Amino acid sequence: MYLCLWTLFTHYLPFSLVIMERRCVVETWTDLGFLGKACTPKVKFGAGTFVFICTGSDEVFVFSAHEKRLTASNSFRLQAVLRFPGPVRDVAESHDEQLLFVASRSGVYCVSLQSLLHSSSDDASCGPAELNISSESLVARADGVLTLLLVGSLLLTLCRTDTSWLLTLYKRTQSSACEVLGSFGLPLVSPALQSAGSKTGPARGPVLTCVHPAGDATPSSPTPSAGAGLCLEPLLFKLLFGVEAALAGSPVVLCGLPDGRLCFLPLRVPGPRLRVLHSLEQPLVFVGASVVRETSAGHAQCLVAVGEEGRVVLIRGDGGGAEGGGCSAAAFTEVHVSGPVLCGTADRNCLYYSTGADLCCLNLSDGLLGREEKSKGGEASGMMSNVAPLSPSSLNVSQVTDLAEPLCSDAGEVQLLGLSSRGQLQRISLPVRREDEGCSRHSSSQIGRSVKDLLSAIGDVHERASALEATIKSKNQILRQLNHALNISFLLTAADDAEEHRLPKEESIRCHAVASWGRLLQKDSLILTCVLDNSSPYSLDRGWTLCLAVCPLSSSSTATEETSSTNFSFPFHSLGPGETLEVSLPAAAAGQASFPLTVSCSLVFSLSDLLGEGRAASPSGSESRSLSFPLDTLTVDWLHVLQLTAPPAPSQSSGRAVDGVRAFLSSRRVRRSRAVDSGGQPERYSASLRVASELLKDTVQPKGLRPDTKGPEPDPQSLGLSLLHWLLSERCGGVKASPGGEKVDIGSTVVHARAPNGAAVKLTAKEINAQEESVGKEETVAHVEVQIESSSMAALCGLHHAVLRRTQTLLQMAPVRPASTKGIQMLGLRRVMQHAEIQQSRVSEAFSAGMSSGQTNQFLLSVYRELRQNSLLVI
Amino acid sequence: MAEKMFLPVSLLDRWTQENDELTVKCKQERQNALCPDQNHTGLRWCSSEFHKLARKIQGTPPHADYAQLELSVVYNVCMCFVSQSQFTEAELLLKQAIERVQQMTEGDSRMSVPVQLWRSALKYVENTALYPFVLRLLCVQWAIWLANCQFKTMKEFQKEISSLLETLNQEKESLNQEKEKSSNVPKLVMDPRRLVELLQISTAIAEGAEKLNEGQGSEVLPVLREASDMPAPRALISYTHLLSGSCLAHMNRPQMALQCYRQALETDSRCVCALYQSTLVYRQLGNTQAEIQALRILHSTLLLPSTAEPSVTGIHLSPSLLLRSQSLSSLLSVPSALSVLHSLALKCVLYGRVSEGVQHYLDLLAALHSEDQQGVYADVSTLPKLPKLYLEAGTALLMAQQPTDCMALCSEVISTTLELLPDRVVLEEPEESGGAETEDEGDEGQDRVAVVLWVAAAYLLQAHCYTHTREWKQAVTHYTRCINLLVKVLFKKKVTCFQPQSLSPHTDVKWGMEQWIVQRLKGLSLAGRGISFTQMDHMKEALRDLQLSSQVLPEGVGAGLWCGEVLWKLGRRHEAAACWKKTWSLPKQSLPENLPLYVREEQWSPTLDSTELRHKIQELDPL
Repeated sequence: MYLCLWTLFTHYLPFSLVIMERRCVVETWTDLGFLGKACTPKVKFGAGTFVFICTGSDEVFVFSAHEKRLTASNSFRLQAVLRFPGPVRDVAESHDEQLLFVASRSGVYCVSLQSLLHSSSDDASCGPAELNISSESLVARADGVLTLLLVGSLLLTLCRTDTSWLLTLYKRTQSSACEVLGSFGLPLVSPALQSAGSKTGPARGPVLTCVHPAGDATPSSPTPSAGAGLCLEPLLFKLLFGVEAALAGSPVVLCGLPDGRLCFLPLRVPGPRLRVLHSLEQPLVFVGASVVRETSAGHAQCLVAVGEEGRVVLIRGDGGGAEGGGCSAAAFTEVHVSGPVLCGTADRNCLYYSTGADLCCLNLSDGLLGREEKSKGGEASGMMSNVAPLSPSSLNVSQVTDLAEPLCSDAGEVQLLGLSSRGQLQRISLPVRREDEGCSRHSSSQIGRSVKDLLSAIGDVHERASALEATIKSKNQILRQLNHALNISFLLTAADDAEEHRLPKEESIRCHAVASWGRLLQKDSLILTCVLDNSSPYSLDRGWTLCLAVCPLSSSSTATEETSSTNFSFPFHSLGPGETLEVSLPAAAAGQASFPLTVSCSLVFSLSDLLGEGRAASPSGSESRSLSFPLDTLTVDWLHVLQLTAPPAPSQSSGRAVDGVRAFLSSRRVRRSRAVDSGGQPERYSASLRVASELLKDTVQPKGLRPDTKGPEPDPQSLGLSLLHWLLSERCGGVKASPGGEKVDIGSTVVHARAPNGAAVKLTAKEINAQEESVGKEETVAHVEVQIESSSMAALCGLHHAVLRRTQTLLQMAPVRPASTKGIQMLGLRRVMQHAEIQQSRVSEAFSAGMSSGQTNQFLLSVYRELRQNSLLVI
Repeated sequence: MAEKMFLPVSLLDRWTQENDELTVKCKQERQNALCPDQNHTGLRWCSSEFHKLARKIQGTPPHADYAQLELSVVYNVCMCFVSQSQFTEAELLLKQAIERVQQMTEGDSRMSVPVQLWRSALKYVENTALYPFVLRLLCVQWAIWLANCQFKTMKEFQKEISSLLETLNQEKESLNQEKEKSSNVPKLVMDPRRLVELLQISTAIAEGAEKLNEGQGSEVLPVLREASDMPAPRALISYTHLLSGSCLAHMNRPQMALQCYRQALETDSRCVCALYQSTLVYRQLGNTQAEIQALRILHSTLLLPSTAEPSVTGIHLSPSLLLRSQSLSSLLSVPSALSVLHSLALKCVLYGRVSEGVQHYLDLLAALHSEDQQGVYADVSTLPKLPKLYLEAGTALLMAQQPTDCMALCSEVISTTLELLPDRVVLEEPEESGGAETEDEGDEGQDRVAVVLWVAAAYLLQAHCYTHTREWKQAVTHYTRCINLLVKVLFKKKVTCFQPQSLSPHTDVKWGMEQWIVQRLKGLSLAGRGISFTQMDHMKEALRDLQLSSQVLPEGVGAGLWCGEVLWKLGRRHEAAACWKKTWSLPKQSLPENLPLYVREEQWSPTLDSTELRHKIQELDPL
């Protein structure tokens, strides 16, 4: 078991060590022997799979790899050796991979690569082809071409004459020869500086690079292959090369001279001039560009120039100035590395350079980190910020004299192709840079920017989240309200059954009303104050509406008179448990309405209210979206609407007592009084009702005066009084008359009032002992007679109906008793029944006889009166 | 004669044969060549072969018998070199040959000065069979002197040359007869007589140009007249006419000059410099329509592919090879096709051919953005800076009622330059002693001012566009942007100059021009904003802006009229009438042509009917 584990460990250990080490791997691919001293040796990647090496002698070695990645040395083959008439200074491949341009003695030669491939593939077995290139393939004749560059269809050569540097533009034509377009000269600074440069080793040649503005159609990779050019960020481009070049989208040729001057020439601008951008004051080794800071397009933001003695100049567009609204300027940052620098190349973030003794890597984003603030102070372009040493990291590869452009894989692996001074072509694979390493090296501005980005992202997310939260909240709210509504609707539907099941009334929603007279629009009108009492544990929220339908009772049964029904609805926002809602509505104007009125209360729940106004707009089915729950049905009868008045003035009648007597008499003898009335006074009608005192004692009389208290016998007068009081003020059918000033008036058992139709009404409650009554010997029950008198028939009927209704409720209220006096009224009942039958027969007789309408009315009235005059006692 | 034995005759024959073969090949190459470049390689090969042959011959000690062959070969080599403009090599070879001739004739060969060398050599070979051969070499030397513009040396040899010409002609006759007799005479790549003709007319032209440059035009005219009758290629004859024309133009006889230019063109249709010179004369005469016509022809001629000249057997010496003097090339120089196109477009727009001008501007922009650009690399470019060009094109487009295209051009200018806008710019009066060392700094300063002016003008144009489309609010925004930018430009004047200096573009200083442009831009943008405010019924703001505009740019007609209109609307009728009257009484100012197109006052804004205004005034003041 142990053994097994141990082997496992030892098996994995070396693997982990390899990961830890992070060394760069150097593979020697080929050995070309000793390098010539005449010129700088060069190694270049072709656009395709070619690698070109000129060792400084007359020869150019053309290698081809099977693929661009340079995976293994065996895939890398020497294709051809080209021998030129003189020492080869520089090579450049055209972008279409067809032609190789070589600067040698007496000009630029052009070799077709296609023919090379064909010739070598034919005799693949017998090794590389050796070709002598003669002056026939000379395409541009110029003495001492030091370096060349291909930009599109242009060929640029740089030569040195006795007095100046000469940059010549050729146009490549279909025929082999090139057409001279123009040449630009730059006078030499001083011969002394030139000779100083050539003291050490071979004379350093100038450097040519092409820079495109970003956004151009040209490939935008920051380190393109084979002179396709660098894509520079627009701002930096503008700052360095001017508005015209930017507007024309012109490629710009950068030219680094051995005297340290960095010059540029915009190609597509009319009337171009070769101008000096900067001077390093030491021979330029490398001019390139680096991304440094990640932008969306990946355009290079930094131009790098490296001098032979280790001066590195980084040129950036100063974004800080632009934010401040002022003129932005290019920031030149100078960095020193220990020289001599033999060659250099750059990738996205790093500058690689060789000192001969070592190959070093300089992280450029590091170099810009500390200088951000300092360079902001510069107001003019060309301002130099402080020179500070940087710490390049050593890659531990020695004797590299030239480097090709680095190849970066997607994984971040960097491969360099180097040529050592011993003539070896080496592939240098750099360790993969860790992600965290890269992160920690962000410059402060980068951090600032990323923090800004993060903050704005957070802001965005917050905005979206809060919006979502709001909708969730509102939906929750709606759900809660719906739940409430459901609960309430259950409660309300249950309340419908409550009549039968006798549920506790306290736990429900009720509606009652108070009727009062007021003046409205200069009219006396009945104002009904409806009170919605929410005694349920739920609150009524938005979406609920209290609907009240007022219609006369008499017409409610007949469908024809719907117009008399008036609807009121009161939407309300919130009605918590225990709260009440009070609404007032004009029920009727005086003299217009017919009483009793029925007020049907209902609660309506509208979904559209709940969901918001916008969705309620749909015209169709707006009714279907609301649920209606009927509440109480209230009845406003004549008693509710009586307006108590003072008794008639003494001047009009002989006196209260006389009046009382007369009233009594007239009530007793209706017919006689009628006869009397016909004399001049308006006819007075009356009706009466008898209620047993026992019943009243239990219900109507105030508690303190109850007979149960064994107190003295209550005042017989008081029983009538309290009945009247009860009739006029007690709530009945959910409606209560407004207390008004009636308490003042009900001092006697006679009440004068005015009916809504304006008729005067008199109510009398009189306690009568059975003994006094001589109607029947058996009837010994004490009772109270309520007599209604009015000159208006309608008022009389209405009041009678109302009093009867009250009495019905009175009976319901009364506690159930042993029916001791059950048989008492049997006789009376029988008599009444008999009487009623007689009347019935008379009525039918009368109708069948075919009387005139006036007669019929008279007759029916008399029948009615007689029926009213029954002497039955309500027990 | 004894030495002749040492040298096998076969060798002499072989060399002669080789020379003849090479000569034939050279002529064939010349004929086969479709374009001059291909010819170049063949010529190079020939010259190197000839050179090898010459070195072989010169490897033997100098001798009279094969001296003829040697001199002929040297003539051939030198002609090849000269035609490839390798003058130093040719001159070296000539010198060697002459020295060998002197060695042959036991003369003093150690003279270093070439003039003396030639004199003595001629003296020694006079009356010998070698004389014509040496004369031929002298012709080559003459060509080299001419190409190197060594007029002084040529003058010293004037007498010899003129006398030699005759003898050479005579010799030629006899030589031809001789040639028919013996085939032993080595062949030559170019007939010396042709060479002499070429040299004569070229010398006349070069010297004429030189004299013209020195201001002695009247002296040259008869010489040129004479030269124009010489047998010579058409190009050279047309040059003589051209030069005559230039002389006449200098002598202030423009109509005669035009005649000469016409003659030059009739002689050689590719003589574009004659066309160009005639446009200059037309401009001087103020004949705009003719100038436009000439510019159009010039442009289309410049766009034509340069056709190869009719091939002549033998080596061809192009006139440009021999005529390399500075004064002549300045006379012959023609601006690039793009520059011509630009001036054509500008002229068209300025003189009422707007749609044509727009087309030319669009062609110009397209040409500038194309990959393949001829003439961009011409040394001298009179093209304005690209942003200015964009703005001019935009103005032309707006004039042609294409506001959206104008907007696009302006926004491109703005987006490119916006980041480079300085906080503020001080426009300083340049110092008198502005030397070369401050040129770069001054350049940069001017650039900063230029950037501000470009962007301001772009905003102004955009605002005009919005006015055109009646989007008053946008117009106000853009006018305001323009004004805000212009406020950044500060003027700094020297305290030392006390004399009041009126702002006028006619002061040739660039500084004055820029200041003037700033003022005009300010005035125009204020006026435009005022008019826009009027349209939006902001009368108070409108009045303020229009009055400011009248202050800044008193000659602005639109601002004055609209100011009156606003006053009228505000009920200040008498003031309005006064304002209108004042505006009408303004003198018509002619704007200089170098004033940018976009600061000219055009009828961008809604116009006011003058007759209606006069009617209003009459109503107000019936007297």
